[in-house]
Amino acid sequence: MLKNNYLNRLKELPVAIKQIGGLVTITIIIILSFGILNIFWGGGDELIRKMKLEEERIAQEKKLNALISKLPSGVLVTFDGTDNYRLSDELYEAVCNATKLIPQRAIMAAHFLNYEAYELYTINGNKIDETYVKWNNDKKKCFAGYTVSGNNVGVNKSANVSGEVLSFLSTGIDTRVYFIKNF
Amino acid sequence: MEFIKKYPKLFQWLFLLIVFFALCFAIDVPETYKFIRGQAEFVKDPNQSFYVFLGKEVRYYAFDVFWRLPPLLGWVPIWINDSLFFLMNEWMPIEFWNEDTQEFRTRPLVLQISRNLTAFMTFLIELIREILLGGLETIVAFTSWDWIDKNPWAELPGLPWTIVAAGSAILAYKLSGKGLALFAGLVMVYISIFGQWKPSMQTLSFILVAAPLSFIFGLGLGIAAYKSKRVEKALYPILLVMQTMPQYAVLVPALVLFGVGDHAAVIITMVVAVPPMILLTILGLRAIPPEVIEAGRMSGCNNWQLMFKVLIPTARRDILIGVNQVIMVCFSMAVISAFIGAKGLGFNLLLALNQLNIGLALEAGLCISLIAILLDKMSLAWANKQTDYFGNLTFYQRNRNILFFVATVIIGIVLAYIGTFLFKGSYNYLFEVPHNKGISTADFWNKGVDWIFDTFFVYIKAFNTWLIQDVLQPMRALYLRMPAVATLVLVVGAGYLIGGIRSALVVCGLTLFIALSPWWDRALVTAYMATFGVVISCIIGFTVGTLCFQNKHSASFMLGVCDIFQTFPSFVYLIPVMMLFGITDTSVLIAVIVYATIPATRYTIEGLRSVPVGLHDAATMSGVNKFQRLTKIEFPLAFPHMMLGLNQTIVFALFMVIIGAFIGTEDLGQYILKALSDKKGAGIGFTLGICVAFIGLIFDNLIRTWVEKRKKHLGIN
Repeated sequence: MLKNNYLNRLKELPVAIKQIGGLVTITIIIILSFGILNIFWGGGDELIRKMKLEEERIAQEKKLNALISKLPSGVLVTFDGTDNYRLSDELYEAVCNATKLIPQRAIMAAHFLNYEAYELYTINGNKIDETYVKWNNDKKKCFAGYTVSGNNVGVNKSANVSGEVLSFLSTGIDTRVYFIKNF
Repeated sequence: MEFIKKYPKLFQWLFLLIVFFALCFAIDVPETYKFIRGQAEFVKDPNQSFYVFLGKEVRYYAFDVFWRLPPLLGWVPIWINDSLFFLMNEWMPIEFWNEDTQEFRTRPLVLQISRNLTAFMTFLIELIREILLGGLETIVAFTSWDWIDKNPWAELPGLPWTIVAAGSAILAYKLSGKGLALFAGLVMVYISIFGQWKPSMQTLSFILVAAPLSFIFGLGLGIAAYKSKRVEKALYPILLVMQTMPQYAVLVPALVLFGVGDHAAVIITMVVAVPPMILLTILGLRAIPPEVIEAGRMSGCNNWQLMFKVLIPTARRDILIGVNQVIMVCFSMAVISAFIGAKGLGFNLLLALNQLNIGLALEAGLCISLIAILLDKMSLAWANKQTDYFGNLTFYQRNRNILFFVATVIIGIVLAYIGTFLFKGSYNYLFEVPHNKGISTADFWNKGVDWIFDTFFVYIKAFNTWLIQDVLQPMRALYLRMPAVATLVLVVGAGYLIGGIRSALVVCGLTLFIALSPWWDRALVTAYMATFGVVISCIIGFTVGTLCFQNKHSASFMLGVCDIFQTFPSFVYLIPVMMLFGITDTSVLIAVIVYATIPATRYTIEGLRSVPVGLHDAATMSGVNKFQRLTKIEFPLAFPHMMLGLNQTIVFALFMVIIGAFIGTEDLGQYILKALSDKKGAGIGFTLGICVAFIGLIFDNLIRTWVEKRKKHLGIN
């Protein structure tokens, strides 16, 4: 009875009021739907933090790329006494941060003093697990390293080779580790 | 409460706008928005979320949903690509006999059908092209290269330009009289002496294949839709989308299915040209009075006879208007299909625009426009021509035009033969003026462009800078600043207020599709450019239309001008604006304004004309002056019709904005253009096309619903 009364009252309302009611309802439905969608698909603070980091990384990378493009092509060294281009301390750090690649030449040279790594490397088809080029703030030096792992005569082994980067190779587009001093 | 009762609609709209702006101000631009916009859509990033749909991984950035919805429909382009790949490479492999290798070969059915279709179309185009220009491919198709080596005389010679020019003049005379005949003759002479004969005939051959085939398919489907409600219901949404779909977007899937070349261009032109033919066939057949159908039945007609002896002849005018529309669409496609390798004037125009050779582009554009105007006038004359039946005519009177044509063929051949002696060792100008050997005004126009730049550079640059910095960029920023939720509330609310819950649901669906696609931001840029164009076009169109309406002659003149401008292929509009404003957004927007002003002006004049004369008299007798009559009677009554003009203006503006991508905008059109050169672009191109079509359909739905209601309210049929 009460329900019928309410329904009749609603039906008796002027069209303009009904339309306004409809409009308000539609608006609320849309905003609520978005709210629900936000729970499932929206990104939270964690995402914002990650993206900010990513943004910073991209900005830093761009800066470093601009720097590298200004360097001469060829071997860049950190020491005196050669014909190659000598990096200043600041440039040394910047180039270290910008460098990602360790080419096979540098790996083969570093193997010279690590026979175990060399064996694993050749037996497992010249595969490298992981490489890194890092700036050490305490020693003010650039370090590079890589891990090789695999099966050597039925035994799973892993070897880590790391050392100071004494020179880089600038290709004009990027820089690569040229020589790792692991002695 | 009193205010609500007194002005209910005003209050509702005010409420909607307040909610919209409140949402805009309440929802801040997320900090990471710029970062996300800066990333390419398909770049893999460790921060991206992903979902799997139909076995396909779709990556996206999880984001503040109130600001932008996640691209949950990101699977659509992938799915379209995969479907096309499956259809073309894997579905239903069947063994086919290969004539060349004399062995069976396994090929998927769709691929085989598309190859057969392609071969058939190529044959038709070559046949007509060789009738007009000469060649031996057609003869070889029936014989072999060895045979043609032994019988070199068997090559098709091609028609001298004099015969085609005279033939067009005779046909124009038969359809409309001396005026059109003179115009036809002059157009053909112009094309020839300006060295555009070969590309013009290439374009014409492409249209002479596409237009009849579109007519046959359109008529067939129109009849089927007239006969069966089911067919009509199935066709209706496709026709609706095709009317607002940019032609660019259809090119991309066609590339995958049919490859590159004239054949693909013909097929895609048919896809675009068939919908208006279907619509006009249905319109014509529906308008036939039931008495005519009854009379046909009472005369003992069976269904076939009733359709082809009674209904189609009665609906002849509408059907022929459909033919006119088909021809116009074919011309507009002549340039666009040059993107997928169609030869002819369109290709030359595109090449000239690419080289920024405005003079050459202008020559090619003028040729296309002149042929388009000529064919438009001829097809309209055909539609309006009443067949006269006289029983007592002599043989000469009955066959006069044919006899004249035969005579011109003979004279043309004789002239071409004389030409071989006159121009010995050189080109036979009485047979064909070769491309780039005729008169050229390109240098003159190029110097004109240079002069314009030298003289007005400072002013043009100042105008450009003002428009871009002070008008366009703020407007663009405003559109991009709209949160998704606010936009949806505004659009759905408008739908609800105009057409009730049904309309609200329709526009909600269309908007959601765009919002859930990965190109919402680009769609907003498209919407901003179209809005700017539409607003200016409407102001110009409504003003010019109203002023011209004040005088009968000026109204007729303006409608004639609109007719001519409407026949120009849309690409042609880019030439003068590029001449003046160079490669900037301003050029695109000016082209949009010029192109979209045509329907605004036309519908204003026609709307004002549709006001009954009796009302004018009644108003004059009531003592109102001209201005009062215009504002109190004519405008309110003509407004629904003018709103239909607004609808057309929006569609025209959208089309031009998409074409403007060629100059270099940042909107959906640019992505469609990119998709054209992408191996996997079919899905993206098609989905983007649907997005543009949906923007048009949102406005179409709102405006049409409002017009219907308003007409009902005013008691106008």
